[in-house]
Amino acid sequence: MIYFDNAATTRASETTVKKVSEYLREKFYNPSSLYHEGIEAKRDLDRARAIILDKLRGDGKVIFTGGGTESDNIALFGTKKHKNGRIIIGGAEHAAVYASATELKQRGFDVVFAPVRSDGSVDPERFAELVTPEVTLASVMHVNNETGAVNDVAALAGIVKKVAPNALFHSDGVQAFGKMKLNLRSAPIDLYSMSAHKLGAPKGIGALYIRSKVGVSPIVYGGGQEGGLRSSTENTAGIAAFAEAVTERYADLDDTRAAVGEIRAYIARVLAEIEEIEILSPENGSPYILTFTSRKVRGEVMQHALEREGILVGTGSACSSNKASERIPDALGLKGKYRDGIVRLSFFKDNTLDEAAEFAEKYIKTYKELSKYGS
Amino acid sequence: MAVEYNCILIRFGEIFLKGDNRKYFESLLIKNINDALRGLKYTFVRSQGRYYIEKYLQEDKDEIISRLTKVFGIHSVSPTVKVPTDVEELGRVAAEITPKSGKFRVTVKRADKRLGMTSTEFAATIGGKLLKASGGKLKVDLFDYDFELFVDIRENGYSYLFYEKIMGAQGLPTGCSGNGMLLLSGGIDSPVAGYVMAKRGIRLYAIHFHSFPYTSELALQKVKDLAKKLTAYCGEIKLYVVPFTEIQYAIHDKCPEEFMITIMRRFMMRIAERIARANNCGAIITGESLGQVASQTMQSIIVTNSVVTLPVYRPLIGSDKSEIIDIANKIDTFEISIRPYEDCCTVFLPKNPVIKPKLSDAEEFESRLDVETLIEKAVAEIAEEIIAPGLL
Repeated sequence: MIYFDNAATTRASETTVKKVSEYLREKFYNPSSLYHEGIEAKRDLDRARAIILDKLRGDGKVIFTGGGTESDNIALFGTKKHKNGRIIIGGAEHAAVYASATELKQRGFDVVFAPVRSDGSVDPERFAELVTPEVTLASVMHVNNETGAVNDVAALAGIVKKVAPNALFHSDGVQAFGKMKLNLRSAPIDLYSMSAHKLGAPKGIGALYIRSKVGVSPIVYGGGQEGGLRSSTENTAGIAAFAEAVTERYADLDDTRAAVGEIRAYIARVLAEIEEIEILSPENGSPYILTFTSRKVRGEVMQHALEREGILVGTGSACSSNKASERIPDALGLKGKYRDGIVRLSFFKDNTLDEAAEFAEKYIKTYKELSKYGS
Repeated sequence: MAVEYNCILIRFGEIFLKGDNRKYFESLLIKNINDALRGLKYTFVRSQGRYYIEKYLQEDKDEIISRLTKVFGIHSVSPTVKVPTDVEELGRVAAEITPKSGKFRVTVKRADKRLGMTSTEFAATIGGKLLKASGGKLKVDLFDYDFELFVDIRENGYSYLFYEKIMGAQGLPTGCSGNGMLLLSGGIDSPVAGYVMAKRGIRLYAIHFHSFPYTSELALQKVKDLAKKLTAYCGEIKLYVVPFTEIQYAIHDKCPEEFMITIMRRFMMRIAERIARANNCGAIITGESLGQVASQTMQSIIVTNSVVTLPVYRPLIGSDKSEIIDIANKIDTFEISIRPYEDCCTVFLPKNPVIKPKLSDAEEFESRLDVETLIEKAVAEIAEEIIAPGLL
């Protein structure tokens, strides 16, 4: 089977599975316990925290959460916001941010959405037009999960801080962390969300970077773990696996980026030869994601047809009657049948060029069959 | 000791009417009751034309009642307290289960004539004990009462005390009317049609037409989930899933777009009849409602009905959508039916389907297709699955 849906989730690596087992079977102790085993668990937890902070090149702290969505929620709901302040959100954010922002709007905040270009990246000029001294929070994703477009979040944060020095800037880094080099110290980014299961670690674990001196209040109350910001007994097995995956991803980052980049380029070349296909991902986007759309074959139909060929891919639009799936085609400015035709391929370190070649061959065969009926 | 509702009384309805067949109907009903209660600990007792569920765990009582009220053929059930027929004991138990204040009446039914009291005298005696026990807070009112205590005195030496009569699903025991093949689409109407016919004693078989890759596995799962809901009422359902894409391709290639649905429906009916006959089904069941969509006009139904000779039961033909939705909500299929996957198959839907198709036109267009070969190929690739009641 060829798995090209790694932006949805990745297969856990053997080393992370080993970590999980180790922390469930041997080092299973509660990090809040005061005996030696508990203290060791706490130490390992902080070691994992340090590993992640190091890869972020950040100046602040990292708290562990239940996943990227929870990290985004803490960033949006746990930060102080002026009652009449403005909140700027990227126009093609993941639902974790988009739905949270919509809720903030419901609660009376002045929430505005920054338009994106056809590749899914926020247009910096139009973003700047929205920035007023009243801005209290801005949130723009680092790598767009639908297209792989990379936002220059450091620059966007700079634009905000220039006009509204006290505003906070959050970025959802779920599709970026572990897949590109980061340097948060040199960027005015206050909050950064991460997820483990996009990196070969288990689901149910994420992290939020909080820059020094940035005040965040909890959204869940309880035993006071994670500095009071995320009460709940720490998921030590998931956290250890997360840190392990982060170490692995950064150890071979350049090689992996080059390898998936070749896969992406190969498939993009093949697709470019089909007239009715439009590639949505920008040339300079994340090498891990290649998204395109066709006006002849619906994305979901293609997904199922490829599934039969043993190839798993993602789609943009689940179903034309599903309102939630209208948001991204809208944001990308897609028209007519192109709206329903989105297919997303996303790669990971285990994917090979051979798989890309097999994909290309089967895709073209399937496309020819289906496009007879799709128009 | 606190009094517990230790016996559930089951009353059955229409099967009384069925004379000679009563034995057969009863054996079916008993089997269906036992099937519905599978996995629970209980004893089934049949006594003097009534059924009782006894020796169950108190914590299962509500679950048992919930399951029983979905079994067709059951008129109503009552949780009762079963006690040896003894006036003192009956008075004590009655006082325990009766509210402490308000207006009440006691109604006695007496199959056991050895007691030396009439039903009315017996009711008065129990009522007197209740009045005394309440210290004046209870009052008797035979007509304008807040609650009515039933005392059912049976010949087996036991009496059954109860307040509640919970209505059952009514209808006839599943299976007593024969087998029926339900066209189950995943929409709102077809599961309701299945339910309505199962209520008249039909054992359901179901057939679904699947258009992979145009409809997803989730759409298929939806159909299985709907069938699962129906099993709570009618027991196990055998589901046939027919791969339909090749037939749709063929129609799309050879026939005018506006006849797509009409001819698709004709194929569905033919295949359904074939599978129905193989399962000794005496009818095909559909969720059609007159005029609801283009394929459900009088003319369309003439054209789609004409390819089969088995009777087609369309129990919803005269129902409004809102009436259908009411039943869908009652049987808990509505929420499943409105999952969005169904609409994903838009590729083959014509913009302007024919509303008044002519049979001769449909036949002419169809003559361009090798109908028999297409059907045989689809039938050869049918997948079968038994959908059974219970958890996933």
